[in-house]
Amino acid sequence: MWLHMTMNYTSAVELKSVVKWYEKILAVDNVDLNIKPSEIFGLLGPNGSGKSTTLKMLLGLVQPDGGLVNVLGIDVQEDAVAVKRQVGYVPEAPRLYEFLTGIEYLDFIGDIYGIKAEEKRERINEYLKALELEGREGDMISGYSEGMKQKVALISAFLHRPKLLVLDEPLSGLDPRSARIVKDLLHELKAQGVTTIISTHVLEIAQALCDRIAIMYRGKLLALGTMDELRKRASMPDSGLEDIFLKLTGTGDIRAVVEELLK
Amino acid sequence: MNWKNVAHLIQVDMKSGRLIRGRRLTRFRESRFLPYLLYGGALALGLAVGATAGFIYSGVSAVADSQLMALFHQGLLDLFLSLPTLVLIYSIVFTMMQQIQRGGVKFSVQAPYWLPITWEEHTLASAIANLLGFPLASIVFIGSAIIVVSIFMGEVAYAVFTFFALLATAFMASAITEIFRILQVRFIGAVYKSTGRAAVWVRFVGSLLFFLVFYIVYFFITSGPGAITFVQTVASAQGAVWFIPFVWLGMTLYSFITGLFAQALVFMTLSLLFISSLFYAAVMLNRRFGLYEPPAITVSRGVYAPRTGFLGKLGFSTVEAALIRKDLKAFTRRRELMYIFIMPIVFMIVPLMQTLGATGGPQPMEGIRPFLFGFFFVLPGALMATILGSMMIGEEGGAVWRIYSAPISPKSLVKGKYFFIVFFSALVTAVTGIVWVAVFHPSLRAILVALATSLLLVFATGAISLANGIRGADFTELPRPRMMRTAWNFINLIACFLAALAILVPFIPYLFTLVPFMSLRPAIDLYQAAAISAAIAIIIAFVAYRMALKNAIELLTKAET
Repeated sequence: MWLHMTMNYTSAVELKSVVKWYEKILAVDNVDLNIKPSEIFGLLGPNGSGKSTTLKMLLGLVQPDGGLVNVLGIDVQEDAVAVKRQVGYVPEAPRLYEFLTGIEYLDFIGDIYGIKAEEKRERINEYLKALELEGREGDMISGYSEGMKQKVALISAFLHRPKLLVLDEPLSGLDPRSARIVKDLLHELKAQGVTTIISTHVLEIAQALCDRIAIMYRGKLLALGTMDELRKRASMPDSGLEDIFLKLTGTGDIRAVVEELLK
Repeated sequence: MNWKNVAHLIQVDMKSGRLIRGRRLTRFRESRFLPYLLYGGALALGLAVGATAGFIYSGVSAVADSQLMALFHQGLLDLFLSLPTLVLIYSIVFTMMQQIQRGGVKFSVQAPYWLPITWEEHTLASAIANLLGFPLASIVFIGSAIIVVSIFMGEVAYAVFTFFALLATAFMASAITEIFRILQVRFIGAVYKSTGRAAVWVRFVGSLLFFLVFYIVYFFITSGPGAITFVQTVASAQGAVWFIPFVWLGMTLYSFITGLFAQALVFMTLSLLFISSLFYAAVMLNRRFGLYEPPAITVSRGVYAPRTGFLGKLGFSTVEAALIRKDLKAFTRRRELMYIFIMPIVFMIVPLMQTLGATGGPQPMEGIRPFLFGFFFVLPGALMATILGSMMIGEEGGAVWRIYSAPISPKSLVKGKYFFIVFFSALVTAVTGIVWVAVFHPSLRAILVALATSLLLVFATGAISLANGIRGADFTELPRPRMMRTAWNFINLIACFLAALAILVPFIPYLFTLVPFMSLRPAIDLYQAAAISAAIAIIIAFVAYRMALKNAIELLTKAET
C-alpha cells in the first residue's frame, strides 16, 4: 500500500511571491500558489508561459530570484535533496539512459531512491506487468518505442512511492490501455494521500483528472480554481476547458486564423 | 536524376556542419564566402608550392646535365602516375574519418524517405558531400600544384589529365566509403541478432579493434618513414597489379604519358565503368538497407534479481554505487564513450612501433631510454584522467534531468564520478606500465617511482578535470554528444597540463643526470623528488576536489536546461 495519511504540513506545495528571470525575460512573475495534500492539480498555459520553470522550482532545479518555495513542508532552497526524495518527476520529454535496459534503468532508480532489494524487485515486476513491458525489460532502451520509453519514465516516477508527483505531459505516447491505467492509478493515489501536479496541453485530460486547475500566461497566474470556478471567471457557464482556456489567455481568435490559412 | 535535388541535398549536408561547429543552434552568423575559404586557401597554397617546385626545376635544368634532368623529369612523371592510387587510399581514409566525425549529423540530416527523392539522388549527394572539406581541399591543392609545376616542365596536358583523374579517384573513394557505411550498419544488425546477449561486448571489442586497426593504418600512411615507403611502393607496384580495378586510373595516366593512347582509352573506359558500378552498388545497397535499423539489443532475460554488489562493501552508498555501475555500462555500451579506451592504446602504438623498429625509423638513444620509460609509463593514466574527468558529467546528456530530479547529493555525485575516473585511469596506468616495463626492463626503483607518480598524477588531474567538467558541462546530445563546452575544454587542458608540470618539476634535476653527455651528479635523490612531487599532487588533488564539490552544488541548483 502507498499510504501517506500522516502529514505534518497543511499545503503540499506553497509558492509565495515567486519570481524568476532569465536574463531580461521574466519567466515567472510574482506567483502565489497553494496546492493541498492529496489534490490532483492541473497547471496549464501556452508554450513559454512559465509552467516548466515553475515545476523545476518545486524540485529545486531552478533557483527563484525572489519569493519562497515550500514543498511537503520543506523549504526547497534549504534542502532540495530532501524534497526530491519524496517527489516523483516526469519531464515533458524524458530522455532516458538509452544504453541501459529497461530493467537496469529501473534498478538504478530503485537504488537512487534507496529502495530495499526485495521491495524493489516486487514493485518493478508489478509495474512492468501492469504497463505491459514484461518480456521487453531486458532490451536496451534505445530499441524502445516512444510510448515504451514514457512507460519507463512513469514507472521510475512511481517506483519509490512519492508523496508528490510532478508530471509534465504524463500520457504522451501511451496506448489507451496504459493511459487509462495511469489515470486510474492517479485517482487511487489521491485517495491514499498523494498529491499530483499535472502539466498538459491536452485539456480534456486536465478537465477529466484535475480537482483544481491553474492557467499561467506570460509568467503570471491568470486563473485558478475548480472547473465551475473557472467557468464563472470566464463567464462561460456551459463551456469546456478548451474554450475557457482560449478566452482567458486571449488566444481565442481561432476562426480568423483558420480563415486566413484557407485563403 | 534530378540534379536540383542532388544540389539541395548537398546544401543540407553542408549546413549540417553547423551542428558540429555551433553551440547556439538558433543563431547563425555565416558568411557566404567562408565555406569556400578552405578551397581558396588550398588553391593559393597549391599555386605557391607548384611555382616554387617549378622554379627549382628550372634552376636545376639550367645547371644539371641532360641525363640527370631526364631522371628528374621521369621522377616527377612517376609521381603523377602514382597520384590517383595514392589519392584513392588517402581519400578513403579521410572520407571514413569524416563519416565517423559526422555520424550523429548524418543521422539527423538523412533525407526523409517520404520525400520525392530517388536513392540515386540521395547516394550521389551523399558521395559528393563526403568529399567536401579536407578531401576536396587536398585535391585542389595537389591539382593546382601539379598544373603549375607542369607549365615549367612542359607537361600541362598530363597534369590536367592527372587532375581529372584525381577528381574521379576521390569520387571512387567516396562511393567505397558509402558502400562500407551501409554494409557496416547491416552487418552490425546481423551481429546483434546472432550474438544475442553477448552483442554488447561484441560491439565493444569490435569497435575497439576497428579503431585500433584504423589508427595504425592512419599513422603508418600519414607519418614518418612509413609514409615515404608507402608512396614508393605504390609508384613501383602499380604496373604489376594492373588487373586490379582500383589502379586503372593510374594505368590510364601511365598509358597516356607513354604514348599508348589506345591502351589509355581502354583503361579510361574500364575506370569509368568501374566507378559507375561502384556508385550503382552503393545505390542498390541504399535502396535495400537505407532505412534499415539494427534490432534492439537484448542484454538480459529471465527473472530479475537485484544485486547488492561489492561496491557497497567498499564503503560506497547505494546512490554512489548505482552511479558508478551506470557509468560503467555507459562507457562499455555508448559508442562515443567507448573510444576513450582507444586513447591510451593510440598513445602507445606509435612510440611502441618506433621503439621496436617497426616503422623503419631511428631507434631511441640508449641514454634517454629511462626518460622515455618514465614518459610513457606516467602519461597515459594522467591523459585518461584528464579526458574522463572532462566528460564525466556532460556524458549524462539529455538524461541529466534524472540526476537533477533524483535525491543525489553533490557529495555523492562527485564521489561516484571521481572514483570512476581514478579507477579507470589507474587501470590504464597498470596496463601501459606493464607494456613499458616489458619493453625497457627498468630497475625496481624506477618502476616504483613511476607507478607512484602516475597514480598521484591521476588523482590530481582527475580532480581538476572533474571540477572543470562540472563547470563546463554541455548536455547537448543531438546530433552528437558535446559533453564539454569548447572554452572549458581548453581551460581544462591548460589547468591539467600546468598541474602535471608542477607535480613533475621536482624530477627535473634528477632527469639532467640521465642525459649521457652532461654527466651531472644528482642534485636530488629520486625518492626525495618523488616525496616532494607527492606532496604537491596531494595538495592539488585536495583543492581541486573541493572545487568539484562546489561546482556540483551549483550544477544541481541551476538546472536551467
